[in-house]
Amino acid sequence: MRSGYLFGAALAAALAALAVYPTYGTGYGVRAMLQLFMWVALAGSWNLISGLTGYVSFGHVAFFGMGSYTAALLVANAGWPWLAASLAGGATACALGLVIGYPCLRLKGPYFAIAMLGLNEVLRALVSYFEGFTGGGNGLSLPTLDATVSVYYAMGLTAAVIIVLTYAIITSRFGLRLMTIREDEVAAEAMGIDTFHHKLGALLLSAVGPGVAGALMARDQGYIEPISVFPLAITVTMIVMALFGGKGTVFGPVLGAVVLFVAQEIVWASYPYFHPLLFGAIIVAVVLLMPRGVLGLLQQRYRLPRTI
Amino acid sequence: MNVVITPTMVGQVVISGILSGALYAMVALGLALIFGVMRVINIAHGPLLMLGAYATFFLWQGLGINPYLTLPLSMAALFVVGVVLQRALVFRVVAAPELSSLLLTFGVSIALVNLAQLSFTSDLRAIEYITGSWILGPFALSKSRMIAFVTAAAITGGAFVFLKTTRLGKAIRATSQSREVALVCGIDVNRIHLITFGLGTALAAAGGTLISVIVAIQPEMGQIWTFKSFLVIVLGGAGNYPGALLGGILLGLVEQLASLFLTTQLSEVVAYVLLVLVLLVRPTGLLGGRQT
Repeated sequence: MRSGYLFGAALAAALAALAVYPTYGTGYGVRAMLQLFMWVALAGSWNLISGLTGYVSFGHVAFFGMGSYTAALLVANAGWPWLAASLAGGATACALGLVIGYPCLRLKGPYFAIAMLGLNEVLRALVSYFEGFTGGGNGLSLPTLDATVSVYYAMGLTAAVIIVLTYAIITSRFGLRLMTIREDEVAAEAMGIDTFHHKLGALLLSAVGPGVAGALMARDQGYIEPISVFPLAITVTMIVMALFGGKGTVFGPVLGAVVLFVAQEIVWASYPYFHPLLFGAIIVAVVLLMPRGVLGLLQQRYRLPRTI
Repeated sequence: MNVVITPTMVGQVVISGILSGALYAMVALGLALIFGVMRVINIAHGPLLMLGAYATFFLWQGLGINPYLTLPLSMAALFVVGVVLQRALVFRVVAAPELSSLLLTFGVSIALVNLAQLSFTSDLRAIEYITGSWILGPFALSKSRMIAFVTAAAITGGAFVFLKTTRLGKAIRATSQSREVALVCGIDVNRIHLITFGLGTALAAAGGTLISVIVAIQPEMGQIWTFKSFLVIVLGGAGNYPGALLGGILLGLVEQLASLFLTTQLSEVVAYVLLVLVLLVRPTGLLGGRQT
């Protein structure tokens, strides 16, 4: 119990520090934290579908790009305020999740994973094809606006909402049903769980976060193009973070995002070409040696509660 | 686009579709074999095809070997790579939940593509060995595609005969039908797994060799092939090996027709829509169920 309070206090202190950080931090620092929030939001969202139900998404960047393009088009062409456009980005990403999830999640097995594998290529091709509307390979520029600090708070809030949502799900009956599907889908069905709608629900929830995060990044960068918002590398990075920290836990994706992001900024920035090789190796190593991730290992060893 | 579409053009497109269909079928058969026997979808299937293409390129460029004669070499080399992969990594997750094998082979695929970028650079490389077409009435048959078609059809046919008639082929089919019963019958299941992974990878390598003579190759060429192979399996019906042939030809036709009526840019989009539609309407595949 005591450690519970301690954990709560540390969490509150960290949140307070992050809330006042833009007042004291450097421009670079705020940007870096903004990116860290984005990774927390992405890894946390991936965790909602893949960590909880065991259905691997190899294309979550599609939701990110969907949100980016929705928001950029609404801001640049329709003059929407960026905050409203970001919410719209979350909504269209969610709609995309429905279009993919409805046919693919009715089936058990690898169909969903493979369908997601091709999705970002398809969206990239569509964006390039409808260049009159999307700007194609030339990209889209948003009106200039220095909103880094506001985007910092919006992104931080997005990440926080996703973590709180994960906690709420893991401690709910809905979450237990999702985890039952992960452990044994046939048994879950036999127990009367409507597995299709549960999986679909998890996917829709996990699509919103990347949509909003993509929209916010579009606002912060001020310019997007197909290559910058649909790269496989974003999917790979969020998967590595969630796996490393511990999939299926509340704070695993946060831990993974922080550790790998810091490592990336400090150490690996000098070796950009080796990134994918390293990440591929980490995925293989975690799957074989540490399937529950760092947090899962700590949970087991120190008997920490399942709900962190 | 105000191009008039003539019957000759449609005929030409149908021919091209069938020509690429055999290639799709062969590569997809490799993925289907591994999936059938181990229930593992090998995400690295496409990147392994890419390695096969590079094997041919370097044998041709470095040693001056006729690219078509490198076929057995590239298949043998990738057979070994497949066996090593299975022995070192994949066998550990065969019995684990699907998530593990998907993630593991995904990690391998990312690493392979990056390794290829580091060792071979991302430059486009082409084998200029055979160009031009044979003219048959109003139709032109690209020589390299025609050779690829015949070779792929022969290899696919050979694989079917192998699976149907040889003791090893029967053991592979038995293992894919029931691992337990195969074990009881005295089949060394782990050895079958090794051989199957090697064979599946060799089929991907054959695809890589044939493609390298048709189009320019680069490290990222492979990933789309994992997706396409899976689509071919879904079209033909998972676990139904002859279905792969139908699925491959269907995918080839759809892609070619899409490039005629829409644009080549959208051929992948059309393939994707096809996957989603099939999953929606007939998830067991066009030929239905599992009949190995």
